[in-house]
Parts: sequence; structure tokens; C-alpha cells
Amino acid sequence: MTTHFDEGDGEPGRDLDDPLTVILRPSSTEYLGPPTGRYESIRRGANRRRLLRATLGAGATCAVIALAALPFRLSHHDSPTTPTVPLAPPPASSSAPTASPSQAPSATKAPSSTPTASPSSPADVRTPSRTVVPTTEPSRVASEPSAVATQAR
Amino acid sequence: MKRSRERAASELFAAVYPRLAGWCRRLVDDDETAHEIASEAFTRLWARWTKVTEPRGFLYVTAANLVRDHWRKLERERRAVRRATTEEAIRPPTEQSDPSVRLLVQSLPERLRVPILLHYYADMPIREVSVLTGRKEGTIKADLHAARELLRAHLRRSLDHTL
Repeated sequence: MTTHFDEGDGEPGRDLDDPLTVILRPSSTEYLGPPTGRYESIRRGANRRRLLRATLGAGATCAVIALAALPFRLSHHDSPTTPTVPLAPPPASSSAPTASPSQAPSATKAPSSTPTASPSSPADVRTPSRTVVPTTEPSRVASEPSAVATQAR
Repeated sequence: MKRSRERAASELFAAVYPRLAGWCRRLVDDDETAHEIASEAFTRLWARWTKVTEPRGFLYVTAANLVRDHWRKLERERRAVRRATTEEAIRPPTEQSDPSVRLLVQSLPERLRVPILLHYYADMPIREVSVLTGRKEGTIKADLHAARELLRAHLRRSLDHTL
């Protein structure tokens, strides 16, 4: 079966009684004029819609960029947030050599409090006194149990 | 630039709107719906004014799609009313719109409907229809021929039915 092409851009049907010609002939008489102010309202509506579309497009673009950049940002941000606490040497004091091995942990605590300590705050003033008290006591404390033990016997 | 675009929009509106709205009026039941459909077609056109290369064709195709949506909506409403009232003897819907043009839009597949609308109702030459639809001129001519044959067959069937 072969397809018949039109011979040009003109009307296909010559017969004016052909119902198809009637269908395909646009009605020249039926015009519907726009109501007053319709043009302006259509323009306003189109501008609003264009603005809305642009806003939504910009928002979507920003969201995509943020989602794409977030993993990089997080992975980049992770490495500097894991610093190791620097191990400072214990403070040089006269009582340090006398400290027993069992009290070594208290000696390690001392450096952490030492840098923040200031004479103005009473709480910090108390902290060194606490650390000092055990260091001066051990000779007495070590002798007391032996004394108690002998008394019990 | 903006002023020239505004002037072009105004000229297009003055030239096309009355005819487009009149064409819609033949397809729908009242003037208000025809104005709504024509206005919506223009709103969609101007919301993407910079992207549309052939505004007249865009307007007619958009209006045809809106008319089809309107018919579907009416059909749904009629069905809902029929279900709600459960009356069998409901008067069939009055065909106030032009049945021949309704046939044109309703019966043809989109591939054939668009060339017919653009060529016969938007007065576009086949060359322009070809550019707009991205098909070859020979294909457009073949589509127009096929559409006419299909319409002729539909018309013959409806005429036989009425006789």
C-alpha cells in the first residue's frame, strides 16, 4: 500500500460539500475577544509562574550542590578533629621524687590541671594542695600500717 | 530588549487570542471555560517565552491538550453523578460543542493531531510544522493524509450511525 502525499500546502479537499472540508476549515466567524484586563492578568500570572520556577530551580540546585559537597566536607573535616593529647612531662617539683609508684596516676593528672590553674580561682588553688598532700604523706602512711600491725599482734 | 519583547507579546496576544478562544469555544460548553483555556495556554507560553520557538503552534497544541483534559474531567464528573444518583434514565450529555471539531481532537492520536492542528487551525505551512515537530516535510504530508483518512472514516461511521 502506498501513501498518497499532498500536492502542496493548500486545502486538500476541493469539494466544499465534503464534511471533512467543513471540519478542517477553521471558522473565520467565531472569534472570542478577550475580556477587559485579561492580557495584564495573564502577564502577571506568567511572571509569577516564571519566578516560582526560577526559585524552585535555584533551590534544587543549591540542595544538590550541598548534598554533593557535604561528604567531601565531612571527610575533610574529620582528619583535623582527632588530635592526640600532647603528653606533657610531669611538673618539676620537690615532692615528685618522693612519690610512690602507686600514686603515679595522680602525678599524671597534675599536668592537666597545672596549665589551667591560676591563683585567682579558689577551686584551682585547692587542686594543687590535694596533690601535694599525698606526696608529703606517704612516709607517714607507710609507717602507720606497720605500727598498727604490730599493735594488733 | 524587554520593551520589544513586551510589544511582541502584546501583538501576538491581539492576533491570536480571539481566534484561539473562539476555537476553544467550539469545543467546550461555555465562554468562561474557553477563556480559561486560552488564558492558560498564553500563561504557559509566557512562563517559558524564551524557550518556545513557534508560539502559535505551542498555543494551539497546549489548548488542545487542555480541552482534552477538560473533557476527561467532565466525563469523570458525569460518571460520579451517575454512580451517586444510580439513575439509569439520565439524559445523555448535550453536545453543545461542535462534534466535528471534537472528533478532530478526540479521535486522532497525538502524532496525527498535532500536524492537523498546526496546519489547518494555526495556518502554519507544512515547512513550519516540519520544523516545529522535528519531522521531515514528507512525513508531515503523510501524517496529514493519514489523519484525513482517519477522520473521513470516523465521519462516515457517525453518519451511518445517525441514518
